[in-house]
Amino acid sequence: MSGHMTEDQTLLQDAAERYLRDSYDFNQRRGRIAEGVYSDPNQWQAFAEMGWLALPVAEEFGGLGMGVREMAMLAELCGQFLVTEPLIDALAATHAIIGVGLQQESLLPRVAEGELIPVAAIDEAETASRLTPATTLTYTDEGWHLSGAKHWISAGASATHLTVLALSADGLAWVLVPTAADGVECERFPTHDGRGGMNCRFDLLLEADHILLQGQPASDALEAYRALAMTLSSAETLGATQAALDTTVDYTKQRVQFGQPLASFQALQHRMSNMLIQTELTRSLIYAACNAADSGRDDAARFARAAKVKATTVGRKVSQEAIQLHGGIATTDEYIVGHFFKRITALESWVCSKGEALKEFMALSPS
Amino acid sequence: MNASNPIPTDYETFRTSIRAFLREALTPELVRAGERTTSVFSDFEAGRRWQSILHAKGWGAPEWPMEHGGTGWDIQQRYIFLEECKLANAPNPVMMGVQMLGPMLMHFGTEAQKTQFLPGIISGDDVWCQGYSEPGSGSDLASLKTTADRDGDEYVVNGTKIWTSMAHHSNWIFCLVRTDKNVKPQAGISFLLIDMATPGITVAPFPSLDGEVEQCQVFFENVRVPAINLLGEENQGWTVAKYLLEFERGGQHFTIELKKQLGKLQGALANPNSRAVDDPTYAYRVAETEIDVMALEQTELRIKGSLSAGDNPGALSSLVKVSGTELGQRCAELLIEAAGQSAMPWQSEVLAPDYTGDTAAPAESVTTMAEYINSRATTIYGGTAEIQRGIIAKHVLGL
Repeated sequence: MSGHMTEDQTLLQDAAERYLRDSYDFNQRRGRIAEGVYSDPNQWQAFAEMGWLALPVAEEFGGLGMGVREMAMLAELCGQFLVTEPLIDALAATHAIIGVGLQQESLLPRVAEGELIPVAAIDEAETASRLTPATTLTYTDEGWHLSGAKHWISAGASATHLTVLALSADGLAWVLVPTAADGVECERFPTHDGRGGMNCRFDLLLEADHILLQGQPASDALEAYRALAMTLSSAETLGATQAALDTTVDYTKQRVQFGQPLASFQALQHRMSNMLIQTELTRSLIYAACNAADSGRDDAARFARAAKVKATTVGRKVSQEAIQLHGGIATTDEYIVGHFFKRITALESWVCSKGEALKEFMALSPS
Repeated sequence: MNASNPIPTDYETFRTSIRAFLREALTPELVRAGERTTSVFSDFEAGRRWQSILHAKGWGAPEWPMEHGGTGWDIQQRYIFLEECKLANAPNPVMMGVQMLGPMLMHFGTEAQKTQFLPGIISGDDVWCQGYSEPGSGSDLASLKTTADRDGDEYVVNGTKIWTSMAHHSNWIFCLVRTDKNVKPQAGISFLLIDMATPGITVAPFPSLDGEVEQCQVFFENVRVPAINLLGEENQGWTVAKYLLEFERGGQHFTIELKKQLGKLQGALANPNSRAVDDPTYAYRVAETEIDVMALEQTELRIKGSLSAGDNPGALSSLVKVSGTELGQRCAELLIEAAGQSAMPWQSEVLAPDYTGDTAAPAESVTTMAEYINSRATTIYGGTAEIQRGIIAKHVLGL
């Protein structure tokens, strides 16, 4: 009952899972994060070679032209294997922003090859300026000038480029900013989910070809990005949630107390049944959100919000239960289950919170 | 139409034809019986009338094979039929015969049994009730004590059954009885079909919390049942019953009813006299409930997809039962909150389909309390939510 998959999807899923199972070791990951390496360049290169970065890139630009369902499959695996590279971030920015921008032809192949790693920068220090940014793009005698600051950029430390949301005379604008450019001051910091965050201050002139979208197309891209990011974050949450449940089931079968496995106690069995019920319900809703997006249906935006609300609620509950059912071992850094909990918590507020998604869901009521 | 489940045009044509039939066939009394249904059972006579109308149309048992009077509809068409019946407020016929016993008879019955019983089930002329639970045997069904001792060509049945819904309206009962006390409990049970007119049977109806009478206790005192009324082999009753329980769980489409409940919740939000108006949390709780119903609907569709592909959803029907019943309870809670004191008048006569007088409660609250009360039973009958969680733990999680 895994949800219907096409042959191509099954191939992608199997290959990706096999790769991550063989090559994405939890202890290796732990070691490199401790050394401040949030993103492994060899991994990113491997992702590129397997075509993952080109998934949403149109075939005319050398990509696979696949849809939200396929991206969500990878997102789910990112959750399961605790991938710290900014895969869902880059996929969302590529599909929703770069892929519709004026420079798609030159930029998309660079993304597909793994050379350009884009992450969207939206949030600012003040909540009020999140979707109507205080960061400005103005046309001056010297050219386009970007001024302002972006905060709490998840996985920002691994990005080569930021797609920055700014306000211009024509409304919203998306601009592409290399993180290494002069006039960009970046402060990188470790994060609890091992990805490496970043705050950035901008005071620089941009070449015209770095202006990706302006005005209505930029607003449309913001909505597309948010809906896609909600769906992908839900899918990654689902993968981590399922993994937390599986780990818990395995552990309670092995751990013996009072002379019997924990799994034999009904009080625990029913809690794990609840975890499974809620995880499966969430899975159904996320797959439906993917299908709604891929078939361009009117209710796709509403489904994305519904998925975000459900995944956030269930991810939190299941990962908390996973810790409780394990006991003390789950509170240690060397045991995996707490890392699912941390990543799920980070994803809760990525792009939007549960409450914000619920509010938007209500505003999108079918007529 | 729900856009999450796009249906090809020919299904739309099908839906239109169902709608046309329902518009024609449902009298105002039948619709009122449907509207004022507060549990799984509508007014008995209205339900029976509706079954005979459906049977005359050839739709008495859509899920049955065509050779026994089924319609040949696919899963999607059957779903559309149920959905349209619900939307049109058709009453629920007593369904133990069509939905539960029928499939058992087809699977385990002799040719003679099929010939004798199936026509009466589909026409609604025979009304069947289910004799499983006993005062001492609820969730632990296999501990049942009603005995059937072989005496020549007959069994002699002694004991009692309880929670026998609609027994007071039924002329037949299918029963689990003990035929061997010297083996482990499940291995000594048989499945008997018993004519309710047989001497020695007493039916004692009793009111439920909402004041209505649906439930009965049935007593058997030296009831002589022809041995040819054994369904399946002697001592194979547990196998027959397990098949039936799975059918009961898998055959339910909770979201059809839940979407109707969501409509009522939207009504509560829009009603200036509802207590939801001054409750700042109400709209959010309704929205979260709607999202949970969406998730359940998509899960039902996934299961339907695996059924179409020939897979057995097995224990996943337990998942749907737990979630569907608990969501129904949540809707009922939200509705009773919105109705407040206006749901408290108890006026049994308004539930009669021919009642056209005034109601003490406002129209939208007439059945709210009864529905809330009866919603509590949904996580108890057909295998409690705890039994379902146990099934999931054992068969899905391998605990």
